[in-house]
Parts: sequence; structure tokens; C-alpha cells
Amino acid sequence: MKNTTKLQLLSLALLLSIAFTSNLSSKEKSSDKVIMKIDADPLVAYNIWFKVGSVNDPKGKEGLAYLTAQLMSDASTTKNEYSGILELLYPMATSYGTKVDKEMITFQGRVHKDNIKKYNELFLDAILNPAFKEDDFNRVKNNTLNFIKNELRYSSDEELGKFSLYNFVFAGTAYEHIMAGTVEGLESITLKDIKDFHKNYFNKNNYVIGLGGGFDNNLVETVKSRLDKLADSKTNTKVDIKPKSINGLEVVIVEKENNSTAISFGFPIDVLRGDDDFFALALFSSWFGEHRNQSSHLFQVIRGERGLNYGDYAYIERYLNGGSVSKPDPNNARNSQLFEVWLRPVQHKHRHFALRAAMRELKLVVDNGMTEQQVETTKRFLNKYSIHWAATTSERLGYQVDSEFYGVKDGGNYINYFRERIKNLTAEQVNNAIKKHIQYNNVKFAMITSDAESFKNDLVNNTASPIEYDSPKPEEVYEADKEISTFKLNFKADKVTIIPVDKMFQK
Amino acid sequence: MIKNIIALAVGIFAMSSISLMSADNVFPYKYDVNTLENGLKIITVPMPSNGIVSYFTVVRTGSRDEYEVGKTGFAHFFEHMMFRGTKKYPGTVYDSLIISIGADGNAYTTDDYTAYHLNLANEDLDLVMELESDRFQNLSYPEPDFKTESGAVYGEYRKNITDPGNVIWEKLKFTAFDKHTYKHSTIGFEEDIKAMPTLFEYSKEFYSRYYRPENCILFIAGDIKTSDILTKAKKYYSPWKRGYVTPKIEAEPAQTAPRSEKVTYDGKTNPMLGIGYKTAAFDSKSKSSVSRELIGDLAFGSNSELYKKLYLKEQKVQYISPYFPQNRDPFLSIIFTMVNDVNDISYVETEIQKAVDWYQTNLVDKKKLEDLKKRQKYGFLMGLDTPDNLTGGLARTVAITGGIEAIEDYFKTLESITPQDIQNEAKKMNASQRTVIELKGTK
Repeated sequence: MKNTTKLQLLSLALLLSIAFTSNLSSKEKSSDKVIMKIDADPLVAYNIWFKVGSVNDPKGKEGLAYLTAQLMSDASTTKNEYSGILELLYPMATSYGTKVDKEMITFQGRVHKDNIKKYNELFLDAILNPAFKEDDFNRVKNNTLNFIKNELRYSSDEELGKFSLYNFVFAGTAYEHIMAGTVEGLESITLKDIKDFHKNYFNKNNYVIGLGGGFDNNLVETVKSRLDKLADSKTNTKVDIKPKSINGLEVVIVEKENNSTAISFGFPIDVLRGDDDFFALALFSSWFGEHRNQSSHLFQVIRGERGLNYGDYAYIERYLNGGSVSKPDPNNARNSQLFEVWLRPVQHKHRHFALRAAMRELKLVVDNGMTEQQVETTKRFLNKYSIHWAATTSERLGYQVDSEFYGVKDGGNYINYFRERIKNLTAEQVNNAIKKHIQYNNVKFAMITSDAESFKNDLVNNTASPIEYDSPKPEEVYEADKEISTFKLNFKADKVTIIPVDKMFQK
Repeated sequence: MIKNIIALAVGIFAMSSISLMSADNVFPYKYDVNTLENGLKIITVPMPSNGIVSYFTVVRTGSRDEYEVGKTGFAHFFEHMMFRGTKKYPGTVYDSLIISIGADGNAYTTDDYTAYHLNLANEDLDLVMELESDRFQNLSYPEPDFKTESGAVYGEYRKNITDPGNVIWEKLKFTAFDKHTYKHSTIGFEEDIKAMPTLFEYSKEFYSRYYRPENCILFIAGDIKTSDILTKAKKYYSPWKRGYVTPKIEAEPAQTAPRSEKVTYDGKTNPMLGIGYKTAAFDSKSKSSVSRELIGDLAFGSNSELYKKLYLKEQKVQYISPYFPQNRDPFLSIIFTMVNDVNDISYVETEIQKAVDWYQTNLVDKKKLEDLKKRQKYGFLMGLDTPDNLTGGLARTVAITGGIEAIEDYFKTLESITPQDIQNEAKKMNASQRTVIELKGTK
């Protein structure tokens, strides 16, 4: 329908705007730099990646990686008090921060190039010379505990649901706890633990420099020579994650008093960014549940036609902060991923129906596959929609760091590479990938709701969940509702666990 | 971690305006302002962006315009209905066309305006302008769709209200205002949201009153040519008829005494304080208005003495966050904070007022003020890095002032601000202008 020549030009323009080099020839390491130089850019973006994450938290000290990184980015250094750092950053209208994930920790920031010298000093100082002072430690620890005990448990059932699902799926592995840790883990962490962790893991053999934007040539070397002053320790940070196989439908219900039910479900998939099947599954999950997009099939079924909630989405990679962001935020690359469905809160009286509706749609697409037309439409959609995922230099740099993590040979522009891969997909490839990786018989569910026991009974007994509407619906909706309301799901009493919310993330 | 109280506070798809300030007319792009005969204003900002265009339609109507009893939250609800289609392009067809061009589109509603925005490839501008002009002129949806959508809006309310930030926000507005529509939050009162399905006829009235060319602004940035935009705009938007009806918003009587209320949050949270001071409407040429915004940063920002004291040194709070927004009518300058220990609530409250008092009796250090001006300049420039960041960041100013000229005016005013101006403005923040809300969790 659209002029493909223009589209190609657009891709070319995106590609040409970035002069990209990746230091793949380094002899000691596979690569220690992701450099994205854009001379016309008035800004400089930093993304320093350390190959360590919450999987490296020692047992009983869950949250150690998180606290350590926070005490580097949001605290005093041996040169400057934290209040002094804030004062220095203030006129530059900037800051820096850290993102701690399961297997990667990045330090990120951006600055106008007028201020690069001063900023560079502060940024590197934070990584190299954290002071690890008692009062900073208390502040950061207290904030993190507040985040878990109050915010996560009480003020966002959506995030609570998603974190609960991940902990459930990865129970027994190093992914089991959230990045911020556990209440007991955090409480047992000492400053000495943090100093040791910094020395062991934030070392000169364990980082990748990401720089993007309009910097001078010597910045890369400056950053490298400074970071090479980190300790020369060697630590193996790679942790194998083998989630337990799921046997049937397994459920965790987190019980609390609330006014709606949050629902997440999913299962591990053995597909990572860059794998051939990744692109086919990306197309499928976009069609099934593109994040925050009313084009998504689930969204249409549950919200568009029935108005049961605010949105319904599906993912093949962890999507953090989905409640507040509309584009994926890079730098939570992981070696283990889930296929995940997220239903935003529904009224309790609709919880069983909504769950059934989503599972039924999953079964329909797994059994029947996607049509040629659905595949072609989604290809067209993603081809341009994906451009918007990385509009800024910081975002593009973030994607390139992730490509380094996954070993994606994308020629320096992941988004364009993604578009190319999507463009070449066939319906057969997509449907084969769905058949191979997506199923509906062995699934884990995490739900946040009140009156959990009665929900459990409904699930286990396959109690019918008829629905009534305030307004007339098209006939096909009523027809489908008859099937949905009695759609059989094989929940077993011994596989439904109820956990009070205050027990979540405790240890 | 949770310093985004501002985002919470603005409400639905919150987007606070970036600071519109700097020295020497720093807006780095040339822009054009044109107005069609029907009053539709079109602001175009050509900028290099690899073929990407941000297309905003700003409707200068928000929850501020909900002056009728029982209609709170309607502007936001109506924003949802704008995606339900027209006779020519029913909702599903509109969706499929937007899907086919991979545009990233959405909308949000605030107190003072509603914005519909798309990020698209410039080759698709013609289609987008046809679709957008069509739904702004010919919106048409059946009553059942209207009722279904009200379910989604109630879902949005239920999702939001689990956050104590929204609970204190609602209470603060409710307490600080008696007559003006700022009394209610953008999402609206729960009982009004529940009653929305009955307001089908009213929704047509709402559309007819406010979705008019003289009440809307097209704000377009990216790889565009203004002449091309104007040609298309004339083609697609010229038939749009005038007919805006001014809402009968009551002025808020002057506040003469301090106000305070307590509110509970049904869940577990550290206590929160929301403290608002009555503030004049935004005026980019007014030293008072610009000074007021600066006080937010000076007295409560990350470089303030109070932040260092309460957050870093004494560690009495989880965060302290000023929200001194630009508004079309007199609103509030607000400080939100979350207190670690319930016994420290009144201490923290006193310290906040003391910070204001300090600025009433002392002149701010010149360097600190100059640092802040610099910060505004760099913050402004760094916020313009993509078409979408530019339009999104400036939308509020465009909406409440009705144009883009306020930006340059603002810079000029900013440059002229002296420590004395700051002190003069701080003196207006006295206890009689204050509303204090204290929130505690039930668990």
C-alpha cells in the first residue's frame, strides 16, 4: 500500500546518521566498547555496562547488587559529598543513574556537550571512587525497603503481579528474587558486604563502555583509561538459570484487600533476541498484545469489545515499568525470558471471565495459528512502529548495548536490523515458531486479589463465570461469551497457593 | 525510585511541561504560526529528524472545563471516545489504518487541555491529516460503544487509586478549591465516573461545544515543510465549522485562612504531606509568575537546603518534590513529600514552611539563581532532542497560552529575574494561602 522506496530511504537515513564502531577485534575480550558517534548531536549519552546483576547476590543477601549500584550512583564519592555532586550537576540540568537488572548493571546519563568535561569527571568518579558512607547506606537501604514494603506490596498491583509471576516462574533459581532484593536480605546487608561486592564485581575486566552522540574522539580513550583503574579482579558472573518445568496450570494468588484483580501469566521460552525464532515470536506477540496499543488482539477482545479493563498485553521479553512507559526501556537484557501476558486490573466480579477470555484467545491462536493477512498487517505495523522505540541517542545506545549482550550482529543499528528481519518473515515461519514455543497447557499464573479462597474454588471447580453488560453488544460477542464463561481450565487445588501480600518479597 | 510524584499528580498520561527557559532566545528552531479562516491555529517546527514527525492536536479543554455538576472526568472520558471512529472511518478502520503505517499514537488529558498525538513517518502525513481532521469534525459512535468505553475508564480509575499519590492529589484539590473546577482531579469523582454510561447525549453536546477549530491547535514538528502542511491543512480542516462555547467556570474566591485536612489511604504507606499555596495564573511576561516557578526549584529542588537537610542529612523523608505547574487559571504551587516516621509529620511540615519563610526574609544567593537559570537553559535544550520530546514538552505552554510565543517571552522574563523578585514572590506564600493535606495508610 505504501511506497516501499520511501521506506527504504527512511531506513537508510536512520542507518547513515550513526557512525558505529564496535571494538570486536579486541584480543582479551569479545568487545569492550559500543561507540555511536553522531557529530551533529549536541548531547552525549553514557551507558557503562557491568556484567553483573542481581543473580550475583549471595544467598541471604538479596539486594546486594542493587544497593551497591545505588550507592555508586546516588551517593557520595571519596572526592565529593553527595550534596556537592548534586550542586555540581545542577547547572548542567542533568544527573546520572543506574539500572540494575538480573544480569546487567548499567550506569547511564546524558549531558549537553558544552558540559562534557565536568560531567565526565563526576560520572566516572561515581563508578571509581564511591565513598560507601554510613549515612548514604542508611538512606538508600531505607528507601529500598520502603519500595518493597509499601510501594510494591500496596501501591501498584500491576507491578506486584508481574514481579510475583517472575518470582514464581523462576523459583529455586537466581532469578527468584526481584532486583531490589528481599526484606530480610536487605536487612542483613552490611557496608562491608557492599565494599566487597564493588571490589569483586565492578572490576576492570568486567565492563563495556557505551558512548553516543557528539563527543570528541579522545573521550573514549579517556573513559577507558580511567575505568581501567578499577580493581583487577576476575569474577565469573555468569549464572545458569534453569526454571523448573511447569506441570499443568500452577497458580499463586497474592491476597490483599483491593478493588480489582491484577492478572499475569506465562512460561519460560527458550528464545532470545537475535535467535531466528525471536523475530517470528516478536511478530506474534505484537499482534497478540502489543504493549499499550489498541491494535493488539487481546486489547480488542477484553477492553475494546467488552470494556473490562484498561489494557491487555503480551511479551516475549521482560518489559519493566509497563504501567508507566509506552516504549520498551532497554538494558534489562537476560539469558532467560518468559512469554508473558498481562491483564490490567479487572473488577473482581470479572476476574474469572477475563482470565478465561485471555486463555481462550491463547488457545485459539496456538491451535489455529495466525492468518496470512494478520501476519502481513503486523509486518507492516512493526516495520514503522519499531522506529519509535529508539528515538533518542540514549535509547539507541541502550539498544546497541543490549545487542552486545545478546551477540546480535546487527551492523550497529538494532532497530533497522529488527525491521529487516520482520520484513522477511513468512506466515509459515511465524506459525511454526508459535507451534514450537507457545502453548497453553503448562502455564504459571500470578494474581493479586481479595477473597482469594473463593477465587481458588472458582478456578478449581471451573465454576461458570457468566458476564452481564450495561449496554448491548454485537451478537458475536454474546456468542463468544457463552464459550468463554464455561471455558475449561484445568486448575488443581494442590497447585493453587495463596500468599498474604505481606509475605511477598520477605525472604 | 519514586520521585515521580509530579507525574502522578498531573493525572492521566501525565506529562509536565519542561521548563521553557533560557537566555538569548534560545529556542533553536525556526517555527511558523499560521491560522486558517475558521480559527484553527497551526504551529510548525521543521527540524532534522530522519523522516519522523510528531503530530499533536491540542484541544484547549480539560478537566478545568467540567463546570457542570456530575460531569467531572468527562474531558478525559471523551478523549477515549475520540478513538471510536466516524462514519467514514469507523474505529476499527481508523485503527487498521494507523496500524498499517505503524504510527505511535495516543492521547492524554490534563486539567487545562487534552492532547492527541502521533509519531509517524513524514510520508504518511497526508493519511494522518485526513484521519485526524475527520475525527475532529465527524466523530460518530453508537451508544453501546460509549457505554463499553466507560468500563475502560472506570478500570483506569481503579488502577490509579491504588496509588497513595493519587489519593492525596484528589484531596488536596478538593480542599484547596471551593468554586473553581480545579476542585476535582482530571480522572473525576468516582461517582461521576460510575454514572458516565448515562451521558451519551451529553457527550455529543461536549463535542459540539469544545471540539471546534478556534479551540484547537495543530502543533507539528519534525521533517516537514510548513508549506506542505498548510496545503494539506487547508484541504482537510477548512470545512471544520466554528462554534466554541466558553465554559462557565466560576472564579475561585480569594483564600483568607489556612486550610488543612487529613485523608487515609486504604493500604500500607509511609505518611505523605501535600502542601499547596495559591498561585496566580501562568503569565510568561510576569516576573511574579516566573519567580514562583523558580522558588519551587530553589526552595525544594535537589539543590535546595531543605532537600539536603530532610532527605540527605536527617533522612526524615523518602523524597521531597516541588510541583509548581503552569496553569491557565490560578492554581497551586505544591510540595509533596513522604515522611519516614509518623512522629515526624509536623516537624517536616514546619520545616517546609520555614524554607518558604527563609525566602521571604532573605535574598537568594546570586550564584545559586544564576545556576538555576543555566539549568533551565540546558534542561530546555536537552528536552528538544526529538520531535516528540519537543511537542510533548511544549504542549502545555502552547495549550494554556494559545500559542508558542510565550516561550521567548518566558526566556526574556527569566533573564530579568533578580533575588529581590524571588523574595517579593515568596512573600505571597504565606499561611493564609496554604492548604495542607496529611495522608496516612490504614495498615
